[in-house]
Amino acid sequence: MTLHHHIKNTQNQSIDILEYTHKALEETKAINKEYNYFTTISEELAIQQAKNLKANPKGKLAGVLLSVKDAICIQKVETTAGSKILKGYKPLFNATVIQRCIDEGAIILGKTTQDEFGFGGFSVNTENIPKNPFNKDRVTGGSSGGSTGITQKANFAHLTLGESTGGSIVDPAFFCGVYGLCPTYGRVSRYGLLDYGNSLDKIGPMAKTIEDTALLLNIIAGHDEKESTSSTQKTEDYTKYLNKPVKGIKIGIIKDLFGEGVNPIITKSIYKQIEQLKSQGIECEEITMPITNKYSIPTYYIIATAEASTNLAKYCGLRYGATENLQGNYNEFFTKVRETNFSKEAKRRILLGTFTRMAGYRDAYYLKAMKIRTKIIEEYQHLFKKYDALLSPTMPMLAPKFSELEKLTPLQHYMADIMTAPPNLAGMPHLNVPIGMHNDQALGLMLTANHFEEGKLIQIANNIQ
Amino acid sequence: MKMKFTADIIIGTEVHVQLNTNTKLFCSCATKKNEKEEDIPNSRTCPTCLGMPGSKPLVNQKAIEYGIKLALALHCTINPEIRFSRKVYFYPDLAKNYQITQFEVPLGENGCIILDSGKKVKIERIHLEEDPASLIHPAGIDKSQYTLIDYNRSGIPLCEIVTAPEMHSPEEAREFMNKLKIILQYLKIFDENICVIKADANISIKESGYIRSEIKNITGFKEIEDALTYEIQRQKQAIKNNEKLILDTRAWNAQTKITTRLRTKETEADYGYIIDPDLVKINVEEKFIKEIKETMPELPEQKIQKFIHTHKIAETDAKVLAAEYILAELFEQIAVEVSPQIAAKWLRRELTRVVNYNKMNFSQLKIDVKHLIELFSMIEKKEITETVGQDIMNQLILKPFSPKEYVEKNNLKTVQDTTELKTICREVMQKHPTVVQEFKNGKSESLNFLVGQIMRAMKGKADAKLLKEMFEKMIK
Repeated sequence: MTLHHHIKNTQNQSIDILEYTHKALEETKAINKEYNYFTTISEELAIQQAKNLKANPKGKLAGVLLSVKDAICIQKVETTAGSKILKGYKPLFNATVIQRCIDEGAIILGKTTQDEFGFGGFSVNTENIPKNPFNKDRVTGGSSGGSTGITQKANFAHLTLGESTGGSIVDPAFFCGVYGLCPTYGRVSRYGLLDYGNSLDKIGPMAKTIEDTALLLNIIAGHDEKESTSSTQKTEDYTKYLNKPVKGIKIGIIKDLFGEGVNPIITKSIYKQIEQLKSQGIECEEITMPITNKYSIPTYYIIATAEASTNLAKYCGLRYGATENLQGNYNEFFTKVRETNFSKEAKRRILLGTFTRMAGYRDAYYLKAMKIRTKIIEEYQHLFKKYDALLSPTMPMLAPKFSELEKLTPLQHYMADIMTAPPNLAGMPHLNVPIGMHNDQALGLMLTANHFEEGKLIQIANNIQ
Repeated sequence: MKMKFTADIIIGTEVHVQLNTNTKLFCSCATKKNEKEEDIPNSRTCPTCLGMPGSKPLVNQKAIEYGIKLALALHCTINPEIRFSRKVYFYPDLAKNYQITQFEVPLGENGCIILDSGKKVKIERIHLEEDPASLIHPAGIDKSQYTLIDYNRSGIPLCEIVTAPEMHSPEEAREFMNKLKIILQYLKIFDENICVIKADANISIKESGYIRSEIKNITGFKEIEDALTYEIQRQKQAIKNNEKLILDTRAWNAQTKITTRLRTKETEADYGYIIDPDLVKINVEEKFIKEIKETMPELPEQKIQKFIHTHKIAETDAKVLAAEYILAELFEQIAVEVSPQIAAKWLRRELTRVVNYNKMNFSQLKIDVKHLIELFSMIEKKEITETVGQDIMNQLILKPFSPKEYVEKNNLKTVQDTTELKTICREVMQKHPTVVQEFKNGKSESLNFLVGQIMRAMKGKADAKLLKEMFEKMIK
């Protein structure tokens, strides 16, 4: 049964949504035991919402179970962004995206596992490590790994909200074989999102099908007066793009991202798809992005960690989350809290970020990175004058095993973002489109469009099998 | 780093002014308590001013408008873009362990305040930032076993005004602060009964080669003068004692009247500023500035000129009146009904005297301008004597009443009838023959005694000058 049918059935009460929710919760708990996709399963809230929905079966998401990346605030539900330092923190308010989904009849299933504060591409930088739905020895990708894992595994009507700073939506979507759409920066309100890099963070929908992805985007997109960077640009009905013809669409194939360091199986699988697209009348041309591909990784890591190091300053054990015995002076107290409760990766990024914004270094790093970012946006916009979308691999590698990952240095970890960092830096909407399997490893490709052209991504993706 | 100074004393200040907006700088929490309510700590807070995870700031447009008003009044250039930055340091009064302030580009730059001497004190920059929470040390900062935090203050808009190191005496610093306060009053962006104005002052002397100390958090204008005077003495004494001065940050103790070292400043603090990515750039449109300019009130300098040229009062009177917003306002209203000279004299001398006597400040004054007009016009027409006028002024400040009705009811009009006065004078002369004799012998003060006797008997209703003349004639 499609999600669409499930919503209709909930609205016309041909299914008992309370009973359905109970079953979904049982299934979720069973999956979670094996795969670690949740930091919290919000059973009580879900049952209450199902009861309310049974009495008043309304909304465009009526009866859909929604899992949410842990970094997004849900009122009275523990929200930790995968960090020990926020253990026990229950927000006083709902994030705007959560409120919009609840208002449309979604039932909150729980908070999904992620790299601490989004720091990572494999969801291993946390205590609760999610496992790949196709092989438990492999990673889900990250940082929204729990979200894509449960999306692949759930056999009930389910949608999920992920969040991307440098690739955290498309990356795990690729490794788990689902759709993941990272919208234009500002398209979806960040109000209620625990910040990683505020100028980069985007909440986006993830689902098993492109229709469902478009449906969830319809609900969460749009201006929010509570958030300064939220765009006032008008939204569209993204599901309308599902049936739009693709003939005459122009796609630029980012040649630089198919070379050395990319698993040839990925390249081969994508080129097969390109042939498919051409046969449907889509024009595909190879292009290059020399500035973007040379500078995006360092630029991304400078800006993201500079912002992150200021965002994480507030976690000091004073008013919420983990704390320590009140001993010594304030400096000693908060140092102990942060030393004990931040992971190694969080500490690394705080140090990196602090370094790049220190007097004497800010000109060379932070301010220079801000300038290069503008250049990268310009390079994209120049290409979008000619092309409707750009196409590249999502990740350079297939889902690695945990044991393989251990051998990588932090720098090698960062380099895995080579494809995803650019559109994130430029605030361009991008989408992982699953394109089958290679044994127990999912395959996929990434489409990127110009600002506010999420519709084009959906239009093209719908024609990829 | 070191500038080329030549003066004996170099002073620069950073002044923080709480702006009188209804809501905080980045959230919609109230900045002050409801008049009827009790002031409960942490009652005016929300996730944003508490720095809760997931909360986001939104700029208060009113604060921007107030900031631009001040920048314009201080002759600053207004920058076309407003950006906010994060100033990162760990301190328990900072909800996020960073303060949202302006760093790269301030709201306004290169302004000045002109002192009475004509000297221009350069204002390097003025910018907006959020006030931190207040820390409460129940047993005093040194002894308290614990500290309480009240976030009611967290996020109140502050405007920081930074001067160039161009003042050369504590008196100049005090005058600068006073002038700034008057401008704030005129702009109505500061409520002196609620809002706090604080200064940090940098001071160095020639003898040390200008090794400066920064004195933090001085409140009050007399205090800034006292603190700087103390600090100059301390630095001079240190040099005399062959002590080496070092860059340091000091606290001013208003009780003991001394400064004490908080920390040394071997290196400048590094706040690792970044642009606050939660707040979008605001373009300051020409149109917006124009609109603000149009609503700008007349400022003290303009008022002084107007008082001198339109109302024809003396320059000294004009300056005194313009230096107090309420006085200037009252004067303008009264001067169209009553002689401006009388209005100026009575406002400047008598109203000020009564306000000071009652230990009030002008912003607390609740006086009906109608009543002042009645009072002054009776004085102008000589219907009452100055003595009666002063007495009415004493009462008028405490409770409102119509001076005209009061005079009629209590029969306080000046006695103009000379025959009546002559009779009274004669009676007094008969009662005090020795005093009369003394006056005849050339002791002129004796006359004052005789006049005083009559004034007492007539409750001040007679014109003292007239009485003197009468006595002189009658005795001779």
